[in-house]
Amino acid sequence: MRRSTILWFLVAACLGVALFLVKYEVQSREEQLAELHRDILENQEALHVLEAEWSYLNRPDRLESLVRRHLDLVPMDKRRVGQLEQLPMRLPMPVPGPDTDPMVTIEAIALAPRPSIAALSTPPLPVGRPLWLPIRVIKRVTE
Amino acid sequence: MNRRAKTVHLEGVAKQALETGRNRLLLAGCLVALAFVAVGARVIELSAFRDHNEPTTSNTTADAALQTGRADIVDRNGLLLATSLRTPSLYADPTEVLDAEEAAATLAQVLTGLAPAEIVANLRAKRRFVWLKRSLTPREQHAVNRLGIPGLYFMDEWKRVYPQGALTAHAVGFTDADDRGIAGIEKSFDDALRGGQEPLRLALDLRVQHIVRDEVARQIEAFEAIGGTGVVLDVRTGETVAMVSLPDFDPNVAGRMEPDARFNRATLGVYEMGSTFKIFNTAMALDAGTTTLRDGYDATDPIRVARFTINDFHAKRRWLSVPEIFMYSSNIGSVKMAMDVGTERQRAFMGKIGFLTLTALELPELGQPMVPSPWRPINTMTIAFGHGLAISPMHLASGVATVVNGGIRRPVTLLAADVPAAGARVLKASTSKDMRRLMRLVVENGTGRKASAEGYLVGGKTGTAEKSGGRGGYKRKALLSSFVAAFPMHAPRYVVLVMVDEPKGQKHSQGYATGGWVAAPAVKRIVERAAPLLGVAPVDPKSPEIRRELMIEMPGIGGKRLASF
Repeated sequence: MRRSTILWFLVAACLGVALFLVKYEVQSREEQLAELHRDILENQEALHVLEAEWSYLNRPDRLESLVRRHLDLVPMDKRRVGQLEQLPMRLPMPVPGPDTDPMVTIEAIALAPRPSIAALSTPPLPVGRPLWLPIRVIKRVTE
Repeated sequence: MNRRAKTVHLEGVAKQALETGRNRLLLAGCLVALAFVAVGARVIELSAFRDHNEPTTSNTTADAALQTGRADIVDRNGLLLATSLRTPSLYADPTEVLDAEEAAATLAQVLTGLAPAEIVANLRAKRRFVWLKRSLTPREQHAVNRLGIPGLYFMDEWKRVYPQGALTAHAVGFTDADDRGIAGIEKSFDDALRGGQEPLRLALDLRVQHIVRDEVARQIEAFEAIGGTGVVLDVRTGETVAMVSLPDFDPNVAGRMEPDARFNRATLGVYEMGSTFKIFNTAMALDAGTTTLRDGYDATDPIRVARFTINDFHAKRRWLSVPEIFMYSSNIGSVKMAMDVGTERQRAFMGKIGFLTLTALELPELGQPMVPSPWRPINTMTIAFGHGLAISPMHLASGVATVVNGGIRRPVTLLAADVPAAGARVLKASTSKDMRRLMRLVVENGTGRKASAEGYLVGGKTGTAEKSGGRGGYKRKALLSSFVAAFPMHAPRYVVLVMVDEPKGQKHSQGYATGGWVAAPAVKRIVERAAPLLGVAPVDPKSPEIRRELMIEMPGIGGKRLASF
């Protein structure tokens, strides 16, 4: 009788403590959740502002003036658009012989005049590219 | 016995007390049991019946989502045209302000655009709330905070911001200080924007819009014009890919604009379009069957009706075939063509193609066409070459889209439409094909040669109208020069319209300010720049399929000849 009373008392005490702990755990987690929500909102708003700024910086007239100032890009004209059927048949792979110096052809490509707005009236000739480039040579050219 | 009886007596009393006690106990026990049953029933109800089972997730708000004051507006590629940002606004509680004059003096130093006298008046008001300035920049807010004036407070407000500035000003519109839409899409979709969070996707393409604005502005400057407009329509869906009206304004500071800048020339302005109307006149005559591409009319002598004389600008003084009438923009021939069709049928045709009612565009700024009433034969004659019926440029572009797309009229729209709206057939497909050939001919050999963008098979029609003056007459010097085109002509995808208001003849244009000189070059450059972006591949105009598609037979005076391909 007495033993079972103590047992029940202990069970009740344990349950009380457990309930207490769970309650505080839930409370702290809810606070954490609310904080996360606040953070998310803050980030979303920051994102929103950045999106607005991004599209402000991407105004077409601004991009156009930047391109004019810093890049060599020119408006695409119809000579640069073609169809697959217009391509000539593919040339056979050149086999590098011992007497041809790959550097000569590659330097010629690198030094070839680049298209500019002024030169647009005469279409740039297609630049022949060798189909085979040794990696070592590419590195030397880019350096 | 006596003792026993006494005991019995006593027992009797005790027993009675015991009985009472037991009864009361039983009653209390029953009540308590009932209460427990009630509690138990409630527990069962709550756990088993109310929610069926234990909720597996918490019932707190699912996910934090930013609630802006208004939904964004984006272009067809998702680029922002209008968005809302949270900005602080400064207000004051005048009863808490200690020294209004000193506060006003210091505030005026920090906040630009506020007069001290105005602030003093505000701070002395007998109210508990006055706005001092709406939408401060973060720097201004910091400066005001540093002043530490008591009685000043900030309130966060959503402010509408237009990152693209003036570029889409007329289409998107703008809002007032309280975030209510008062122009453009902002007004017509005010409720949807205010309630929704999903961005509203327009049909405009920002890149094309920029190109059109750039080119129209260039022509306005080159010809000292007072304004202009440019429209690009998708022929197949009726979507407005670009819509520009110049002069325009910056919607971010909409309060500071001039009234003329707010006027949307593309949709609100109605104009007598001039020769571009010959597209519809010719299409009407061909569709009605009163003439064919092999027929023609005598354009030797001017037509005299009442006090009017109808003459040709590029007079040939001879018999002209229908293609020639269109190519040389002959007024005399067009009038005769319209007279053959008749007044009633002309009116019905103009109604069918949508020139007598408002366009379907989702804007509050729509111009009502000016329709002659009654519609007399003289009106039929003037409408043949584009006078006497005033429509907006948007009407014109939509009409041309109808003519070239196979004859099906679709409502024009500013919203991105993934599925084209159902259209109504207005013209026969064969008429549309003939019109495409004729429009190509104008650019190939006629008045619109300056619009020929190589490889894109532009076809169109020039128009140079004299603006009507005050007393029913026309002003010789105030012109409205336009060019309306479609490309590529063998399978049209887009209609491009450029109209310049009151251009003046320049040395570089040999004194001309006609549609062919002013608007056609702009159309050419718009097509050249925009076509690669719009996914229109250039074609070889000499390829046999295209020659067959666009060839036209010209019964000229010197026998038959093939004029165009």
